[in-house]
Amino acid sequence: MTSIIKTRDLHKCYWVGTMPHPALHGIDLDIEQGEFAVLAGRSGSGKSTLLNIIGALESADSGSVEVFDQNILQMTQDRRTRFRLDHIGFVFQAYNLIRVFSARENIAYVCQLQGKSKEESLEIANHWLREVEIEHLGYRKPDQLSGGQQQRVAIARALATEPQIILADEPTANLDTQTGRNLIHLMQGLNQRLGTTFLISSHDPDVKEAASRLIKLADGQIVDEWSTIPKPPISISSACPVQNKPLGERVRIKLNRMFSRRRRKQSPKDNSRHS
Amino acid sequence: MANRTRLGITTYLMFAIRNLMRNRRRTTITLLTMIFGIAVLTLLSALNDGWLSQMKTNFILSYTGHVQIHARGFEASQNLRDRINKPEEVTRLMQSYSEIVGWTQRIRTSGLASVGGGSAGVQIMATDPEQETWVTSIHEHVTWGDWLRPGMSRDLLLGATVAETIGADLGNRVILMAQRPAGDMVSEVFILRGILETGAPQIDRTLALIPLNTAQTWLDMGQSVTDIVVRADHHENTGQVVRLFAQQLSGQSYEIMPWQELDPMVRQWLEFSDAYGLVIILVVVILVLVEILNTMLISLHERNKEIGVIAAIGTTRIQIFSMLLLEAVLLIFIGASLGYLVGSLLVYALSGTGIDLTGYANAFQFFYMNPVIYPDLTSDSALRILGTTLIAALLAGVYPAWRATRLSISQALRIQ
Repeated sequence: MTSIIKTRDLHKCYWVGTMPHPALHGIDLDIEQGEFAVLAGRSGSGKSTLLNIIGALESADSGSVEVFDQNILQMTQDRRTRFRLDHIGFVFQAYNLIRVFSARENIAYVCQLQGKSKEESLEIANHWLREVEIEHLGYRKPDQLSGGQQQRVAIARALATEPQIILADEPTANLDTQTGRNLIHLMQGLNQRLGTTFLISSHDPDVKEAASRLIKLADGQIVDEWSTIPKPPISISSACPVQNKPLGERVRIKLNRMFSRRRRKQSPKDNSRHS
Repeated sequence: MANRTRLGITTYLMFAIRNLMRNRRRTTITLLTMIFGIAVLTLLSALNDGWLSQMKTNFILSYTGHVQIHARGFEASQNLRDRINKPEEVTRLMQSYSEIVGWTQRIRTSGLASVGGGSAGVQIMATDPEQETWVTSIHEHVTWGDWLRPGMSRDLLLGATVAETIGADLGNRVILMAQRPAGDMVSEVFILRGILETGAPQIDRTLALIPLNTAQTWLDMGQSVTDIVVRADHHENTGQVVRLFAQQLSGQSYEIMPWQELDPMVRQWLEFSDAYGLVIILVVVILVLVEILNTMLISLHERNKEIGVIAAIGTTRIQIFSMLLLEAVLLIFIGASLGYLVGSLLVYALSGTGIDLTGYANAFQFFYMNPVIYPDLTSDSALRILGTTLIAALLAGVYPAWRATRLSISQALRIQ
């Protein structure tokens, strides 16, 4: 396996007035293609800072960060923007959807940024809405969606540009346990099916449980790290058995599954393009 | 590196419109402020243009005409030696230009008017009684008695203040004294046929009006005159008429003066009015600009996180800049268009009846103004208002848009 993310001796310090607050202290990290890696640690341990630097959202004080063999710390701001658009998808704790756009438009927006036509972008958006199982909610604005639904849109948006890496910062922190588990299941499934690398910062035990590799940070340093045999995704049926849901919801889920299976059979080309 | 990122104009517009609709109350209040400001600005500009146009017309028609042609140096010397000896060289050109609707010849000189024991310095103006009526409206200001009668060589009209100063009444014999071109002083007796009251002090205090033929004989001028006064079809065409005469009479010893140069005080007053109009535009535009800037900055402050997000997911700085600038431009475009429309409707409503300020009639007469002001929205003013508003829109939009591009993405994302 090859490392697609390499950080070497990465340092970052924030200054509040004259007081230094070290955030990262000599981080050496390699993430390989297809990993479902989780950065764990307490608040202030440097998880988000590390994600931001790897995601070219923030600069480091020293050290190097190579993503796909490109040193992102030496890129201009506009080049970083383009790099993020082409290679990295982001999922944030607070979902961070564009409020004035519908779910579908939020996803289509990033495709348009890539230069795709509006029609093509909307088609791609529909595909990813199907993938995250909320196709019927595409016309809703973010404030008409639940937290879990918004996070699914955020994941769809992150995947719509077909990035090789998804960086997710506390993606389940604002969700209830069950919704969080469903989301982890979704991300795991996408990781295994599409081979997209996931690097997630979280202190949610369920996320840690799902990780193929767990990297523990404390005071800006990697203090512990272990890999596990990839676990099968948490079964949505065990986490959220259909038979426990209200009748209306059970009928809706069954119908959705039935129709989505039929659609996939009818248009295998459309689906294979994005998978 | 792949193609540059691009967004269609519809995406920019959708983003701008929806963001404006996001806080409808704030957008509505901002729009109402703009509509009010631009409507008032439009009305004030139209009133300014209206009374300036009246003032120019009244000034031109009361005495000076649009263009005066003199022998070179006469305006400065006011000496009869600087006279036009062959006025036909100029007057033969009058028929050639459609912009000229009338002309007359005059002799102007300083003199003394006396009757009984009273006397006063006067500006003697000799003119053709009929031709003068084609050029100016001075004959309409005869408040007592009659205008100069053709063929009546001893007729005299005096300004109301002059007549009062020397104690002259209609029918009185008034002696005028003046200097001939050769330098000798001569006097002549005239009969006071009318009294002029124009409201313009320099006319009422000094004018003594006599027939041109009489003056030419009395002052030993032959066919010479001092002024050839031209009336154009509109004061906007004054420059064109001046250029036409300048081309035809180049190389000859004439001075061709537009009305603006004939009375420095009026010119200064008009310049002051233009500057005053500009100040009004600037004040209103600055208020509107501050309002828009305030709205945009508050809106930006509220959306810092969202701007951080759109930057994080791949929107370039120039795209963010364009989005926010378009939002401000759109807001100002809608506000300015509606404001201009409301202002134009107000102008239209008032253009029939005008604004009656008869209570200040004396002050208005002093400045050649009518007591009823009719708003007149000129294309120049419309362009000035809309152009200034557009510049204001860009100024008000550029700063918040620029600030948005300076946001730290990671800090913006940390906002709760």
